[in-house]
Amino acid sequence: MNRLAFTLAALLAAAPAFAQDANDTSAAKLIAQYSAEAGITASAEAGKAFFLANQTGGGADTPSCTSCHTADPKAMGQARTGKPIEPMALSVNPKRFTDTAFVNKWFGRNCDSVLGRECTPAEKANVLAYYSSL
Amino acid sequence: MPTAAPSAAPSAAPSAAPATATAPTTPQTRVWDLFVRVFHWSLVLSVALAAASGFLLESRILLIHISAGLAAAALISARIVWGFTGTTYARFAEFVPGPGAIREHLAGGNRHLGHNPLGALMVLALVVLVLALAATGLVVLGGVDKSGPFAPWVSYAQGSGVLGLHEALAFGILALVAMHFAGVIFESRRSHENLTRAMVTGVKERRPGDHASAPRNAHPTLAVVIIGALAAGAWGVTASQAARPVPGLPVATLDATYKSTCSECHIAYNPSLLPAAAWQGIMAGLKDHFGENASISAAEAETITAWLTANAAETADTKVAHRLAARITEAPFAMTEQRYWKRLHAEIPEAVFASRAVGARSNCAACHGDAEQGRFSPFAIDLPKETLK
Repeated sequence: MNRLAFTLAALLAAAPAFAQDANDTSAAKLIAQYSAEAGITASAEAGKAFFLANQTGGGADTPSCTSCHTADPKAMGQARTGKPIEPMALSVNPKRFTDTAFVNKWFGRNCDSVLGRECTPAEKANVLAYYSSL
Repeated sequence: MPTAAPSAAPSAAPSAAPATATAPTTPQTRVWDLFVRVFHWSLVLSVALAAASGFLLESRILLIHISAGLAAAALISARIVWGFTGTTYARFAEFVPGPGAIREHLAGGNRHLGHNPLGALMVLALVVLVLALAATGLVVLGGVDKSGPFAPWVSYAQGSGVLGLHEALAFGILALVAMHFAGVIFESRRSHENLTRAMVTGVKERRPGDHASAPRNAHPTLAVVIIGALAAGAWGVTASQAARPVPGLPVATLDATYKSTCSECHIAYNPSLLPAAAWQGIMAGLKDHFGENASISAAEAETITAWLTANAAETADTKVAHRLAARITEAPFAMTEQRYWKRLHAEIPEAVFASRAVGARSNCAACHGDAEQGRFSPFAIDLPKETLK
């Protein structure tokens, strides 16, 4: 039973990794795209501040990106359900931001959960620059 | 076992010679053979363990309860065989009393070297009760926990109904044990002998006027063959029952869309954990899903809702479907907010839920190895060792 549970857990942990395997984009491409949309130069500093900040307007249990991703993007995060979240930093997890649909889905959900609105292209560009800089 | 050298004064009143180690003056005789003695004390141990673990009602020690109860039933079965094949005083034919013998004993008749008529009735009552407890226990295990030889045959409703009978029988055996103690103390005083010690040494004083029986030979080989055949039969029945399908189990294979879409953030809850109406309510409110936006495409939502509805709690005959899921009728449809859930998890320290390995009350699979199958068997609970980060 334990071995079964372990196998299931391993499969489940791997599922999101498979889900972002489309390999149709990259963090660099997305930064360029979002920066162009916003008409800014992406700033890792601004991205870090955005990532660490306590936001208002979102859900009571998710005031910040760090609520689930922790203050260290190189570390594993943990959803409020106990489920582990792969690190956001590209140096640790190069598979991040390689699947357009995955990126859009999770920016869409999580920006709403934390900010109560969509993230702006500038916020996306900056936070991606931060993740890439680590 | 020092046998007494028959010394002088053989006609001294036996009651005047206390059965202590001072000066044995009467001949000793072997009454309880080794099998009977080992059986008796093993039964004491297994019944005590089964009773203690049973009355605690603690799912984590259910396996101890079941093992002890089945051990008691196995001991009784072997004892029944020995009652037809054993030594003189082990035989039912020697001690099962008729009405005349009971009347004579109650009227203060002579001492019985073996079981006296009331003791014999106690033996029979205990035999029946232990077997009845084991049988009802297996019915409960089959219906409620969907395990064991009765799982293919017994519904949840039947199993939980029989649980009441199992509990009543358990109180019955406690009463019998109390009466047995009283009887042993009373009879030990009345006949001036230590009956408890006799059940350890197997030896009793032989006194004039005793009800004693002509020696009968034991047939240990025959007994072993019959007990072996019974054990093989029990094993065979259990194995063939284990191969039968168990009706009412939750859907075992999770829909691919459901699993990939809904288990990104949390475990893939088995659809049998909520009623259909609750699933529909949850699927209609994904924009605020327990405080987070969990929106999915309309096509995905349609597929998933249909599959959840088709396999919801109404379709499963598990304990969790009946006791927990069926009662979840109001938003936010949270299992962990139910009284029943809280009661069952009341003893789990907050540190366990907060630990890295668990993280949340809703993370059933962290401790329930069979959560995604919707089983929640008491045998699949395993608190993670690393409850602290």
